[in-house]
Amino acid sequence: MFGQLRFYFAIFFARCTALVLKLIGRKGTSMPGSWAIILCPDFLERIPKPKTILGITGTNGKTTVSNIIEDVLEDLGYSFVCNREGTNVHTGVASSLIAESRFWGKPKRDLAIFELDERSSPRILPYIKPDMLLVTNIFRDSYKRNAHTEFILDILNEYIPDTTRLILNGDDLLCSSVKPHNERVLFGIPRRDGETAERKNIVMDITACPVCGKELSWEFIRYHHIGRAYCEGCGFTSPELDYTVENIDEERKEITVKSAEKEYVYPLLNSSLINIYNSLSAITFLREFGISEDEIAEKMAALSINETRYNETEANGKKIILHLAKGQNPVACSRSFENVRNYPGKKAVILLLDDYLDAKKSVENIAWYYDTDFEFLNSPDISRIVTAGARHWDVYVRLLMAGVPEERIVHIKNENNAAKMLDIDDVESVFVLYDVYTVELADVIKDEIITRISGEKTDEN
Amino acid sequence: MRIEILFPEFCNLFGDLANMAYLKRCLPEAEFISTTLTEEPRFVSEDIDLIYMGPTTERAQERIIEKLLPHRERIQELIEKGVAFLFTGNAMEVLFEHIEDGGRRIMGLNILPYYARRDMWHRHNSNFRGEFEGEKIIGFKTQFSMSYPVGKLAETEGFAKVIKGVGMNCKSKVEGIVRNNFFGTYLVGPLLIMNPDFTKNLLQRMGLRPHVALESEVEEAYKVRLADFRAKG
Ligand SMILES: [Zn+2]
Repeated sequence: MFGQLRFYFAIFFARCTALVLKLIGRKGTSMPGSWAIILCPDFLERIPKPKTILGITGTNGKTTVSNIIEDVLEDLGYSFVCNREGTNVHTGVASSLIAESRFWGKPKRDLAIFELDERSSPRILPYIKPDMLLVTNIFRDSYKRNAHTEFILDILNEYIPDTTRLILNGDDLLCSSVKPHNERVLFGIPRRDGETAERKNIVMDITACPVCGKELSWEFIRYHHIGRAYCEGCGFTSPELDYTVENIDEERKEITVKSAEKEYVYPLLNSSLINIYNSLSAITFLREFGISEDEIAEKMAALSINETRYNETEANGKKIILHLAKGQNPVACSRSFENVRNYPGKKAVILLLDDYLDAKKSVENIAWYYDTDFEFLNSPDISRIVTAGARHWDVYVRLLMAGVPEERIVHIKNENNAAKMLDIDDVESVFVLYDVYTVELADVIKDEIITRISGEKTDEN
Repeated sequence: MRIEILFPEFCNLFGDLANMAYLKRCLPEAEFISTTLTEEPRFVSEDIDLIYMGPTTERAQERIIEKLLPHRERIQELIEKGVAFLFTGNAMEVLFEHIEDGGRRIMGLNILPYYARRDMWHRHNSNFRGEFEGEKIIGFKTQFSMSYPVGKLAETEGFAKVIKGVGMNCKSKVEGIVRNNFFGTYLVGPLLIMNPDFTKNLLQRMGLRPHVALESEVEEAYKVRLADFRAKG
């Protein structure tokens, strides 16, 4: 009785908070949910939930994949609660549920789709009990928050309800090991031309057989621990896949996905491997939710890529590419470094890797530089690397450790001077790699580069 | 010069193998041996000049204790003989009396007079500044456990005197353990790249000339970082 009263008080108070926030013009905050949980710690358990709840979690790609899924379902006329405008922790989920409910908490919609921070699972999953949960992948992430992959896997195994149907990345042995007794559907991209069993990355979070401990053998390694493995000792293998990418047409920007012996062609936004995984996981998820191939393909064709993560512009025949390199996330950063290396032509790179808050108030833990493959930046095509920010000396030493010749590196403290230090005459493209906190700075630098490129052309004339 | 890296497939959570990559640049002639958890460590039957182990996950840590338990006497003998050891992150906990995890007690090799207490609900992250033999040591901590001395003498073997930050536990005035040439510290990541003076000290203790790779760059980075640590804590 007391508990239920406390719940009513909490939801009433949270509504008042939401109203005040609305009046002062603030959007998408998790404050109402925070208050609700402070006042009623079992708020998420008590609030009535929509009939069907879908979740998306994993280390990388969960925001992009959630957005694809939500956009497609919205275009198809589904009405649902989601936490897109808020945060992916327990208070964000609570805020979304409050916002989309009647006065005392009865849900206004039958469906909820939540992007979920994997670290927050203990405070969310047992209460919302998702009917279906997608885990995009499990990688090494921020040491501070996520510690290590064993820690994250233990949390998922402990807190995912036994009844939740799982959609898992079958090319990721950590991800596909989650809750082995739950019903599951696996997606993956079979070996592509040129992929070998050779290890290319520093971080590889599974090397031993999970059954007998013997060193795993690999059919192929795509990057980090993504690939297919088998054990010569006990016969363990990577799992069978239910949804596979049979063909990637980079020119037409299309993928062919096979499931249950049927093949179907879907449009892609961008043909980078990371994006193919994102699209494939969204397709698998939507198919398993009951959406037809035709509907998914039609709606996916209408999507546009999130511009804050990757943006290409051209000025006087030179490309300027803004590419997110999520700080303190060695795998996400290594992926962007490899993309830079693989991009055709001669290029220059600006690195803005500092954690904004740490740079301001503390000293950032630089250990993650040594889990990140700076070695990809040691390529003859990359003629100049400008690294700017509080930890520029540390990045400089890391680049030297990666074998980058010192004459190719410029390192400065002041990010605002980064564009000036570029040698743009002999490059065809300039990459600006930035962290989530430095989006605005990256934009300013981009504009400055464009002005410089345009200006130099004018001088020549 | 032979350097053994213990269980690199498990003991490398925070870029820690960079310590060995850097030593390779400092000692291009040295032989580096990586021993996996399924192999017998070389130090058991061969002469090794430095034994390195980095931080690992809680489950792997327990498997490592099991693996090393039969070699307890040998490890103790090598430490007494003055062989150099560098155990970073939670690696040194393997040599503690025991590790507590909730109601569980995991017995360690009981070579070092400490016990560790894991708290999987609270991750400790901090920056550390201390002093060892007159030189400043700086580094980062990211861990689930804190350690407590068993007996009064434990803290006399402290590695770095705490200037700012957290030692073996929130009240301790020392960080890590040094016994002869054994070094254990909770500091993670590229410790040797971040602390060139300590690296030189370690090389000297191994009977080598105190020359480090990328000396001027690494020293300048150290000075700038130390100044930042002083200014921002
Ligand atoms: Zn096996």
